[in-house]
Order: sequence, then C-alpha cells, then structure tokens
Amino acid sequence: MKEYTENIHEVVDRIVSRRGHSADAVIPILQDIQHEFNHLPEEALKYASQITEISEAGIEGVASFYSQFRRKITGEHIISVCTGTACHVKGSNLVYDALCREMKLKDNETTDAAGVFTIEKVACLGCCTLAPVVRIDTVTYGHVMPENAGDILVDFLKRGKQLVKAPANAAPSSALKGEIRIGLGSCCIASGSAAVKAELEKTVAEAGLQVEVKQVGCVGICNQVPILEIVKPGEDTAFYAHIKPEEVKQVVLSHFRPEGTYRRIRSGVVNLFENLMADEAPRSVQKYMFEQRDTPLSLFLSPQVNIATENRGIISPCDISEYRKAGGFEALATCLKSMNPQQVIDEIKASGLRGRGGAGFPTGRKWQLVHDQAEGEKYIICNGDEGDPGAFMDRMLLESYPYRIIEGMLIAAHAVGAAKGLFYIRAEYPLAVMRITEAIQVCRAEGLLGENIMESGFSFDVKIFEGAGAFVCGEETALIASVEGQRGIPRLRPPYPAVHGIYGKPTLINNTETFSLISWIIRKGSSAFAGIGSERSKGTKVFALAGKVKRGGLIEVPMGISIRRIVEELGGGIAGDKQFKAVQIGGPSGGCIPASLADMPVDYEALSEAGAMMGSGGLIVLDESDCMVDIAHYFLSFTQNQSCGQCTFCRIGTRRMLELLEKIRSGEGVAEDIDKLEHLARSTHAGSLCGLGKTAPNPVLSTLRYFRHEYEAHINGHCPAGKCAPLIQYSITDECIGCTKCAQRCPSDAITYKPYEVHSIEQEKCIKCDICRQVCPVEAVKVI
Amino acid sequence: MKLRIDHREVEAEEGMTIMQAAALLDICLPTLCYRKGIAHHPSCMVCVVRDVDTGRLLPACAYPVREGMNIQTHSREIHDARREALELLLSDHVGDCEAPCRRSCPAFMNIPEMNRLISSGQFTEALQLVREEIALPLILGYICPAPCEKACHRSSIDGAVSICLLKRFTADDISRLYSGLLPSIERSGKRVAIIGTGPSGLSAAFYLLRRGHLAVLFDRHPEAGGLLRYHITEDKLPRKALASEIEVIRLMGAEFRMNTLITKDFFDQVLLHEYDAVIIATGREEKQITEDFGLERDEHGLKVSRTTLEAHTRQPEAGTWNPEPGSHGSRVTGHGIFACGNILHKRQMAVRSVAQGKAAALSAVHYLKTGKPGSACHLFNSSFGRLNEAEYGEYLKESGPASRLAPAKGFMGGFTEAEAMKEAARCMNCDCRKLSSCKLRIFASEYQAQQKKFAGPNRKLITKSVQHEFVIYEAEKCIKCGICVEITRAEGELKGLTYVGRGFDVRINVPLGGTLREALTRTGKKVTEACPTGALAFKIGNHE
Repeated sequence: MKEYTENIHEVVDRIVSRRGHSADAVIPILQDIQHEFNHLPEEALKYASQITEISEAGIEGVASFYSQFRRKITGEHIISVCTGTACHVKGSNLVYDALCREMKLKDNETTDAAGVFTIEKVACLGCCTLAPVVRIDTVTYGHVMPENAGDILVDFLKRGKQLVKAPANAAPSSALKGEIRIGLGSCCIASGSAAVKAELEKTVAEAGLQVEVKQVGCVGICNQVPILEIVKPGEDTAFYAHIKPEEVKQVVLSHFRPEGTYRRIRSGVVNLFENLMADEAPRSVQKYMFEQRDTPLSLFLSPQVNIATENRGIISPCDISEYRKAGGFEALATCLKSMNPQQVIDEIKASGLRGRGGAGFPTGRKWQLVHDQAEGEKYIICNGDEGDPGAFMDRMLLESYPYRIIEGMLIAAHAVGAAKGLFYIRAEYPLAVMRITEAIQVCRAEGLLGENIMESGFSFDVKIFEGAGAFVCGEETALIASVEGQRGIPRLRPPYPAVHGIYGKPTLINNTETFSLISWIIRKGSSAFAGIGSERSKGTKVFALAGKVKRGGLIEVPMGISIRRIVEELGGGIAGDKQFKAVQIGGPSGGCIPASLADMPVDYEALSEAGAMMGSGGLIVLDESDCMVDIAHYFLSFTQNQSCGQCTFCRIGTRRMLELLEKIRSGEGVAEDIDKLEHLARSTHAGSLCGLGKTAPNPVLSTLRYFRHEYEAHINGHCPAGKCAPLIQYSITDECIGCTKCAQRCPSDAITYKPYEVHSIEQEKCIKCDICRQVCPVEAVKVI
Repeated sequence: MKLRIDHREVEAEEGMTIMQAAALLDICLPTLCYRKGIAHHPSCMVCVVRDVDTGRLLPACAYPVREGMNIQTHSREIHDARREALELLLSDHVGDCEAPCRRSCPAFMNIPEMNRLISSGQFTEALQLVREEIALPLILGYICPAPCEKACHRSSIDGAVSICLLKRFTADDISRLYSGLLPSIERSGKRVAIIGTGPSGLSAAFYLLRRGHLAVLFDRHPEAGGLLRYHITEDKLPRKALASEIEVIRLMGAEFRMNTLITKDFFDQVLLHEYDAVIIATGREEKQITEDFGLERDEHGLKVSRTTLEAHTRQPEAGTWNPEPGSHGSRVTGHGIFACGNILHKRQMAVRSVAQGKAAALSAVHYLKTGKPGSACHLFNSSFGRLNEAEYGEYLKESGPASRLAPAKGFMGGFTEAEAMKEAARCMNCDCRKLSSCKLRIFASEYQAQQKKFAGPNRKLITKSVQHEFVIYEAEKCIKCGICVEITRAEGELKGLTYVGRGFDVRINVPLGGTLREALTRTGKKVTEACPTGALAFKIGNHE
C-alpha cells in the first residue's frame, strides 16, 4: 500500500511539473492522472491538491462535473456504445442491452466479473454514417446489431494487440506515376481505412510502384468508406468504395499494371447503382469514375459548394506545402500586408457571415466588439467542443483542414488585436487533437505562429485545450469557465465574452466552421461569399447528414438549399422503401421539421420560425418507423443529462419534462400530461439562464407542434411507429417456416418452437430486444 | 444611468443589478440564491423581472442595468414564473416543514418542541408551549385518540413517540398547572359570553382570558365540563383532572353561570346587548338553539358560509398554520357571534373541539380589536409523506434506537419525570429547524406555490449529516444556490464545501470523502445562517 501511494505521488509530481501548479491546470492534470491510472484515485487527487494551488473543493467539483472523469477503476477495455442521434434511431439502445447481456451484467453494473470490459454510453463518436457504432478502446465497429453484438467482443479479443503497422513509402516523389488517396478521417478509420492504407502501402512497396500513397482528410462520403481514390495522369479519377484490405492489391494492380484483375472488378460496377444504400449494401468494392454522371457519388457531391471543405479529399491534412499550393496563407498575407484590422472586419461584415455554432450571430459584429475593446490582452478561441450527438463537422474540419482553421484564427487575431489563441477540442476527438498539434508545430516552424509573423510585426500563438466531456461547454461562458479550470457552468450574459472573457479579458469565440470560412472570404472577396446563399443567410453550411437516408455523410451546401434536396438528392432519399417523415435539425437545441415542410430553405430565420434551429449542423433524417415521442425523449434525456445543474428551470424543469415523456412513452400518460409538458417546456424556455436550457425544450415543442397526434396516440396506448417498448408486442406470423433461428438466438427463451412449425412468442418473457426480427429469414416476426 | 422600473424612473449606477436599482425605489424583489457580499451565481430564478422591450424574463439579482431599460416587476406572467420556479424547487425539496405529528394535530400543538423541552428537563416551559395551542392538556392527555401518534414518522420504525402521555405529563403537576396562567397584559374590559362549558367552551374561555378579555360561561347543567363530565366515564377521565383544569379557567378569571338555560329572549336581549361578543359552544345536543337564535342548520350542524369560514378560521396570534379549514370555530353572523365544538360538526374528537374553541376565541379577539374578521397567515408546508425504510437509519442518527416506553405506573398513572425525559428523547425532530426563517417557505407561502405541482415519480431519499458539532446538513432540502460553497471558499476553509456531480443530481458536499466537521472548521455558523433553506441548520437552538 505504501508503495502504491508513493507511486501515485511520483506520478502526480511528474504531471504537475509538466502542467503547472495554477488553478487553471486542473483539467489537464486530471486528464493526465486518469491516463496513468485508468481512473482518478482519491489519493492522487488529495496529493495533487497538496502540491498545487488547486483546492480539494476545486478538484472534486471539476472531477465530478465532467463525464470523462471516472472515480472507479474500470475493466481492461472500455466499450463505448455511441448513443448519438443517428445511432439512436438505428437502435443503439438495443445494442447496449445486448452487450450487457453478453457481458452478463446485473442491474447497474458496468464492468464484467472478470474485469475485462467496462461498458459505457457515449454521446457521439462522430461516425454517424456507420450507425450504430461501438468503440472498444481504439477499435471502432460500425453497423453493430444486437444480433451480432457478441461477435465484436470476440473479434476484439482475437485482435489482441497486433495493430497494423504501415511500412514506409519509399518511392521518390520525382518519379511518381500517380497518386492513391485514402481518407483518414475518424469515420474512415472506424470503417477500416487504416488497415486498407497499410495494405496499400505494402502493395505499393512490394510491387515497387511509383505511386504516392497519400492520406487525405475526410472525404465526406462517409456512406462509402473506406474509399480509395486513384489519380493517374491520363486517366479519369476512379473511386473505390467500401474497399477491404484483401481487395486492395487487385485494385491497385489493375491501375498500375495493364489489364488483369481490373476488368473483373469493372464488370461488377453495372448493377451497383441499385444497391448503394450505405447501410444495406454488401461490403464489397464499388467503383465510380469521377466524371460519370448520376452515380451516387456525383449526386452526392455535385450540389455541394466547398468553402470550409475546399479541396476536399485532395490535400493531405498536415502537409503545409500542399495547403500553400492550394492558396493557403495567401489570405493571411493579404491581411497582414495590405489590410488594416478594420478593413478585415469590414470585409467579414460585408460577406454576411454569421456564426456557424448555431445561433447565427453576425461574425463581423462580434469581431468589431472585441476589436473595440481597449487595447491589451485579448484572446481568441476556436470552439471545437462539438457536443451535438448527431454532428461531426467540427471534428472533420479539425482533422482535415487544420491549417485553414489556424489561418482563420490568425486573420481574426490580426483583426481584433489578440495575441493568444486557444483550440478548445472535445476529448472524444483524439485524431483532431493530434492533427491540430502537428499543424501548430509546423506553423511555428514556418513562422506562421509566434513572434513577428510574416515580418509584419504581428505576433500570435495558440494552444490546445482538451475538453473533458460536457456538452454545456459548447456554450461560450461555460467554455471559458472550463478553460479557467472551473466547472463548466455558464454565467449570465451580459457581460459578453467579447468584453469579459477568459480571465476577464476580451475574448473572441468563434466556431470551428466559422474560422474555416475566413480565408476563402478574404481570398475570393466578400461579395463572392455573399453571392452564395439566401437573403439573410450567406455562404455555405456544413451538415452531418445521417439517419434513414441512403447516403449519409458530411456535406457542405449553399445556404438556402431546400431540405428536400438535401434528403432526396444528396441523401438519395429514404433507405428501404420507407416514408420520409421528418428531419431533425440542430440536434438537442433544434427541432423536427416534418416532410410536409421539406421545401423550406436552410436559413437561420426560416428554421427558427419552424421551431428548429440551424444548430451546429446535425441533420438526421427520420422515416415512418421513427416515433416522434421517442425522438423528443431522446433529445431531452440528452440535454437533461448534460444540464450543468445551475438554474432551477434547467436543472429540475428538464428532469420533470423527461419524466412526463417517460410516462407518455410507456403508455401511462393522461391527456393533461401533454398540456403539462408543453407548459413546462415554455416555462423552461423562458426561465433558463443559458442557451442550453433555453433551447432544451425545442425538440419537445417542435414535435408537439407537428406531431401532437403521436403524443395523443401514446395516451391512448398506441405507438404509431411501433417503437416504444411498453406499447408494442412482437409476434410471429404464419409466414414462419419453422427454422428455429429466432428461438436459438432469443436471449430470454421467450420463443416456443417446434422445427418446421410456426413458432410463437411468450409475451411475459419477451424483453423486446428485436433480435428475432433481425434474424428471421422470411420476415415473419412483426411488431404490433 | 436612467432606467424605468414599474413605470418609475430611477437613476442607477453603472454596474448595478436590476435588483439593486429596484431597491433604490424600495421595490424589494424575492431571491433565494443571492446574498449580499458573497460571490453570486444566479440560479434560483425566483427574482425574475420582465424586460418590457424584449419581453424576456431576466434574473434581477444578476442582470446589469442598462441606460433606458424598461423593467416590470409585477404581472401575472412574472408572478407565475416565480411561482413555477418555487414549485420546481419544491418538487425536489424533500423534507417536512412542520413535523407530521404537528400537522395531524387538530390543535396544531408544537409536539417536537415539547419533546425537546421535556427531554432537557424544561417541564414548565414545555407546559407553556403546549398551552399555546391546547387549553386542556391534562384532560386531553387522558382521552385524546392521538392522531399525532399515527402520523409520527417513528411509528413505522419502532413505535410512535408517546406524545399524548408526554403532553399529559407536562400538566400532571398541580403547582405547574396553576402557574404562569395569565400573561401580564392590560385587561380590555371587553366581555364575551360563552354558551356551554364543554371542551370547546372552556378552550375558548382560556384563550379569551389570556388575551385580556373577560369570559362568562353559561351552562344549563349544575357543573361545568359538558360532555367531558356527562359523557366520559371516570375510569377514562379522572374527575380530579377535569376539576383541576376547570379550576385553571376559574383562576384565570372566568365567570361560570351554571344552571342557566339560554332562551331566545335572553340571547337577544341580554347576550347580544350586554356582551361584546358571543361564542356558541353548546354541543350537538342543543338542536333547539339554532332555531331559537335564528341561525341556520345543515346536515353537519350549524350552517356557516364557507367563504366566511375560510376567512375566520386563521389563527394570527397562536399557530401559523391552519391544518383543515372548517375544523375550527367560526363566526357565524355579522354581529360578533361565533361558534365552535360539536354544534358545527357531528360528534368529533375532543381535541378538535378544543382547537375550535381556540380558533373561535381568536376570531373573537380579532373582532373585538378591529371590528373585522381575523386575517390569514396561511404558511406553506412542505411534506414528503411516509418515510422510506432506507431512511430509518438517517432519522435515528440523532435519537438512536429505542422502543416506545410504557409508563411503569400504567396508562392512567402516566410517566415519571425520568420516563418522560427518556421517551421524549425518542423524538426524531422531524420538524424543520428553520421553520420561520426558511426563505423557500416564506416565498412559497407568498406565491401560494403548490408542492406537488411538478412532483416526479420518485423522490430523493433523505440523508442527514449530523457529525458536525452544531450543524446538521440535510442535503435533500438544498436548492443548490452555492452560497455555502462560496463562503467556505472565501473564508479559506481547507476543505470547505463544493458542488459534486452535475445536472439534476448535483449535490453540495465535502470534497474527497471528507467530513462536515472538517469542512466547516470555522464557517459553521456563517454558512448555516446564510443557507436560505433548512438544508444547513443549527442542531439545537433552532426551532426559532
């Protein structure tokens, strides 16, 4: 025990010497302690308090506030079940339950008896197009179904620690005959692109090909990943979707060697268009030519306008020379050499750019406010605390275009007179942190960060702050509290951060996407930007399109585009012959817009008037099998869980609303409960202190507005979508062929069966896990 | 800078909050979470006011004033928002204001305080306290069915506290019984006639006399006591006890006119003319009287208008709470006539009649003073219902386990001093220790908040932290304002208090498994006084 304590002290000493003794170091210190010990041992916290300026109260307050921190030791491996919106609508709860059964957990347990696995729900892993997603340590599994949930545990343990290590690419750049690009965004990696890349490099090396294997950022075509792009002079660019490591060799050799296997694959292309539904298509190689019209790829890509995602899928994220070649840092040079701060601000104002974090405050005006504060210490923060459980654009931008964001921040810093910047990035985005870290180092080396940038006399440097798991920290005052080493509690505005921000200094906080648009605006001019979009909303918006569409992914579309075009053209319509019901836009702060209003343009005001919100850009498409009461419940349980707990209406009001929704969802509601819910939703909106509380009722209010009849149906004991477990029953129809498959897989032995005879379900035993329905080969299991 | 609050212009300083500006106009806004001189995090939202220009509700305690602002502090909308904030807080505030025993006592006797006085040997003080609400403790100590004991939280653990016998004990000593009867106040010279000398009539006389009025009791029987004498047998109620408490009333200066049947003429010509008020306490049997006196009856008894009843059953001087409108005495006409006892209702518990006698007397007292009915002070009362088994241990922390004590001398013999002290110490002190200073209660009363409006399906389980020398912490009463956290921080407590957790489950606690004693080494008094609810309270000396 003494040894253990000494060890703890040693480790904490080391961490503190690295992170510093000041009170604002508390979060990084705790993160490091947890990294070392897998949890936060009390002894470590006490000791940390003794040797730093951080009080025990401060440590406890912070450690218990952020969901990243654990006080108990976990199993060897952590299973994170994503409960983001896209995963939710595709049944992540059933997956979670199935995994718990596999782990033989009793009520409220999260670690299995042997201490191998600990299971937890996480808000969003940002791989919405692969929903439902489960991550075990660093390995991500997509499309996990309750039925195969056990398999991933087996698979994970089989992998052991053998991670694919990529051999170096030896080809000298002068002799290159072509380029093979592979996306290495988090989604791509989750879908197996790292293994593909390794295989690719192996193939290239073994065959001695003069080809550059290039990792690029997120391609956005998440529905087709892993995706390989082959660029060869004199040939049309070819894409290979859903490629597997074992298929790499064939594909590569088909391009860089005459004939052979190439033809064989090509012959398969013809009938691909019919079965391209991202989540239903068999996992085999699919190839499209870039110039080909009406391929799912061109439909997905052509309506898009790439500003934040300029050069998507072409440039390598951390390669600064490529970024420069594509016009990178030209805008910064222009600003530093020929524009004074006010001119820059005027240009941004003229562009009509509004904050992409959700509320749409005019960016130029925000900059002006900070600029107008007395000279002195000022800060810039890039808000990358993307917490919306159905959005991953910030992650993609951070991972794929780190230099563009840094350039945007540099321009902003010049405009407002700030010398210090901060990236606030969610802890759940390790790849983004890695890429930004690398990009910052490169920029420092190139003189783009630090003193006297581009010999202009302008100095600016930037640090990274990793969030610790609190949705509310996306709110700017909570974010500031968090940076200062406090609990992420929003405070009343005014004063606004522009006046009174970090450590009381004027602070400009913009969303990641906002910063990504800046350099383009300067380079191409404000009028070019203002020429895109609608009357009140200019430029483009990046959305994470997911849910029940055929093609999900990251899209950047001009403002003013209709929701219907996004769903039907880009998304390819609803998967599986179901009816398009609604889109959920804006995440937990947004609302549901029914299919009947889908011609509405994507525009800040139009969405707000319809009861939704631009939000950060999650766009989840719902079909007839989605229950709107369940959706409202889902979002409210998210915000309720993420409430900081400060003000009465948010802390208690959201909880009481959630309880009412639970009551309604379980069929125990009475008619007055709907009115009570609506009333409380309005009070919570009016009485909450910050944006989280004020917008938390939106999913409830918007579903009440457009789908009140579904609430009423629940009161009458009926869930029209067949989703709410207490109101549905599983039953087996006469179409049953008596194959016994369902009975074998049923975890609760609820199916009575005789081979070759119609089976039946004992309702008392049924736990509604949905496995029978999934395994039935003839769709004889119905939900009634 | 200039702004308008409720249509009045005020000159405020830059940096002031709306609340501070309103104070310049003597507009006092309600707040729970704000405390002068302590770093403030607006949270309770009870202070909301309306920005007329934007229509938004703003927390006045923290929102800075702005030139030209136009603020409204009173409206239906604002009132509702404040009430709802309170109701949400109450839905998550688990605790009793008044103890369940006191709430279920028709006479609203302050039982926990009586128990505390008895257990510390302050028997005279205990009797004085009992008499604040009950005029006949000795009599009721024999015959009361003790609804309080059924409500006692301890009844589900190891037997209710023997409240009724403890109450009898306070009066079971002749010298104590006859001492301290009349407070030294000026006699008013006003005369009140009381018809009937049963429990309600005697009780009415007691409270009239205590407040300086003369009580003249009429009864057609030769001896006073009514049902107590002519219905209850001696083996249940010793005649000595009855006589002693009638003697108390007599010693206080009451006049008894026995063998006097009240006729209509006597009522109209003597009582209504020669007396300043009349209290009818004739009991159920006297059916004739209502017709004789021109009063109406219904199936329950004497007919009284509900609205009048509401307005006149309050007890401004004595209790602060009215458990059950209608159970108290009532003025029945506009001529200073009041009624109490069985004439109002079918046969009822003696303690209810005693309670009604008190209420009728207090109504009459107010009438004599002002010529108008008494005014209300209907205080909010939080109650969480039954104890959960998991909470038994928490509730026993202060009193320890001990089963209900039976007096060695038997029921009729009653408790000895030692027995009484021991039994009284079993009281778990379920009443809140900030009964009259709890701001949540005060505002809940003012805004007529309903505790159950937003009640969730499950309540939190009550915890009691008692290891601090003089502070008790009941976390489930906390409204998370953080005032205590800020005080311990500002005063440099090594451990202090902190928020633990987030959202709905956030709690104030001692960091890293420390104890309350370690947390509050020198701020115990300060945080306890500053806590706006009963979450942090002084263990004793409370019960203000």
